Amino acid sequence: MTTPEVHRLHPLSWLFITGNTVKRLVIPAILVLFASSTNPLARYELLSLIAIGPALVVALFKQAIYSYRFAADELVIREGFLFRKERHIPYGRVHNVALVRNPFHRMLGVASARVETAAGGEPEAVMRVLSLAAVGELRRHALGKERAAALPAAADAEAPPELATVKEAASSGILLRVPAGELVRLGLISNRGFLVVAAFVGVVSQASWWELDWEAYYGAARDRAPEWSAWLFEPGSTTSLGLIGVGLLLLLFVVLLRVFSVAWHLTKYYGFVLARDDDDLRAEFGLLTRVSSLIPVHRIQLVTMSASLLHRWSGRAGIDVETAGAMEGSGEDGDQLAGMGSRSNRQWLAPIIAADRAPALIRAVIPEIDVEAVDWEPLDPRAVRRIFKKALLALGAVTGLVTAILALTPIPVSPWHALWLPALLAPLIWRGADGWVQNAGWALTDDAVFFRSGWLARRTSVVRFDKMQTVTMRESPLDRRNHMASVAVDTAGAGSEGHRIAIPYLDLEVARGIFERLYGETCGTEFNW
Amino acid sequence: MPGEAPDSEPADASETGVRGIVDGEEHEVDPRSVTVARLVAMPTILAVAIVPLGGVTLAWALGGVPSYVYLPLLTGWNVLVGAALVWAYQWPELRHRHLRYRVDESGVRIRRGVLWRKVVSIPTSRVQHTDVSQGPVQRRFGLATLTVYTAGTEGASIGLEGLEQSVAERLRDHLLPDHEDHDGAEGPSPRSRER
Repeated sequence: MTTPEVHRLHPLSWLFITGNTVKRLVIPAILVLFASSTNPLARYELLSLIAIGPALVVALFKQAIYSYRFAADELVIREGFLFRKERHIPYGRVHNVALVRNPFHRMLGVASARVETAAGGEPEAVMRVLSLAAVGELRRHALGKERAAALPAAADAEAPPELATVKEAASSGILLRVPAGELVRLGLISNRGFLVVAAFVGVVSQASWWELDWEAYYGAARDRAPEWSAWLFEPGSTTSLGLIGVGLLLLLFVVLLRVFSVAWHLTKYYGFVLARDDDDLRAEFGLLTRVSSLIPVHRIQLVTMSASLLHRWSGRAGIDVETAGAMEGSGEDGDQLAGMGSRSNRQWLAPIIAADRAPALIRAVIPEIDVEAVDWEPLDPRAVRRIFKKALLALGAVTGLVTAILALTPIPVSPWHALWLPALLAPLIWRGADGWVQNAGWALTDDAVFFRSGWLARRTSVVRFDKMQTVTMRESPLDRRNHMASVAVDTAGAGSEGHRIAIPYLDLEVARGIFERLYGETCGTEFNW
Repeated sequence: MPGEAPDSEPADASETGVRGIVDGEEHEVDPRSVTVARLVAMPTILAVAIVPLGGVTLAWALGGVPSYVYLPLLTGWNVLVGAALVWAYQWPELRHRHLRYRVDESGVRIRRGVLWRKVVSIPTSRVQHTDVSQGPVQRRFGLATLTVYTAGTEGASIGLEGLEQSVAERLRDHLLPDHEDHDGAEGPSPRSRER
């Protein structure tokens, strides 16, 4: 074995390392500048900008110290400023070398590479930043020769070959392309607009709005309002007109939400392409920050197909998978790499797809999983009453609370009116419980366990037997009274949110059967990440 | 396969030294674990209880708190602590009564829970590694906790406390060797060394 050559980061790395810190300092500083027109104390927050100097120094040190080399069977990374650290990452464990390129990266011809292993937790290494040629070399080493062989030679930095992989693979199997029109539709049927609203609220709250002279604004608005809207400002304007005004505002809010949502989805998933290349899936997406990631099919632990009410009305669904590996984009890298769906390591196979094409796409990725060919088994029919009772209990508590409030406070409404609450909601709850149970179901095939649930928003999840870890059967006190139980399957890299294989409200005997069968199937297979 | 035990005769001393353990039968953990749990929980409760009690008593002694507040407070607190102590005495026994484990060639199954019952099955093929640990009180009694690690999330580590130490070690060895050959490429976490 020849002594491996030591590699360093791209000479411009300091720019990106500092950039991350600066982003966090400068954006609040800009907000402060806005806010400080009304609140002079806020200017002191600008002092935090002093930290940029040291950040730059640290960044230069980091860049100087960070080095990596490709040993025979492992990637060795040296890093650390005060505490030096040497990491050994065996190639066999690397399951993804993901790239992130925002417009700055593209301008300078570099990329942030993130080496993900099956370990869970933080990504094994984030290399910020590498030249495209270096990325090619990294991928060739870390992902193995045969996988690299599928890629074109990475010598030419002009035409970034690693980033062209999806296009190259066009002949070898594009599984899905999401056109911009579909993303607009996705924006319309999703609620992502709230993210933008939350950000907006954040900005507004920075500006100490409560100190603003609202009466002056109101007066100015009234003076400039056109003739036809004068009624809005009349002191004696009737309640109904006021209500119309509020209604219009709400409508505007909803429209804005949708506009934001569409914009968010377009920016994030623009040009989404999913391609299959032997055992690997390649996904590429993003308008400003272009993300290119690689998902080895055999690392997929759980597949979920989901559809909200609006999705179903428009005949669409989404498919995502959980892979074992890089979980929370922890620490300083979290915000930059959040665009990869790395939180709770879920990744979209399809952010949106025609519902009737979804099973075929899953089959194309994992042939053993055929959602259409599954014989669904129902939950125990007693589940409806149990869910209903549980909800009634909560409803009773709320009703009691509302009654108490109406009785004890000077609100001029009779406490009896609180009874409208159960009268109106109970039938709805019954309908919901019934719908939930009707739609929920489980299935065992030769290779996998399926579970679906949800009433308005529905989700179906699949885990192959060789990806199961432990199998658990639970009996709550109420379960025992009803001779029922639930069965759950644990998988590697499961996020805190997201759909699980956890089948509730089963008859005890049925639950035992599933439990034993799943355990037997798990024992009969070898887990291979 | 569950329930299937190639070596199900306890009398037959198998050369692996796991006779009477890897037999597909349900076992209780060592009953002395009840004492251990009590010896850990009860002093803890007393230690936690004494701090606010001491504070209030001091305030009362210095005249900061009137007697008509202090005495009911004292009584209430003592009742509360007494109840907690009774609970700390009773609960370990209840818990012990509902804790069972079963080991066979295919894996381990742990059944536990007094009100909320739970059975976890861990196939040997999914065991990443195992360890045996002992707290100070456990060491006095020669007991140990066996922890089984899987690649899962919720069941990433599953503990079985109150085993006799030799039993815990034999179980560890039983669950371990199968996986040592895979360790090179498939282990859960690449190692990072600090210098």
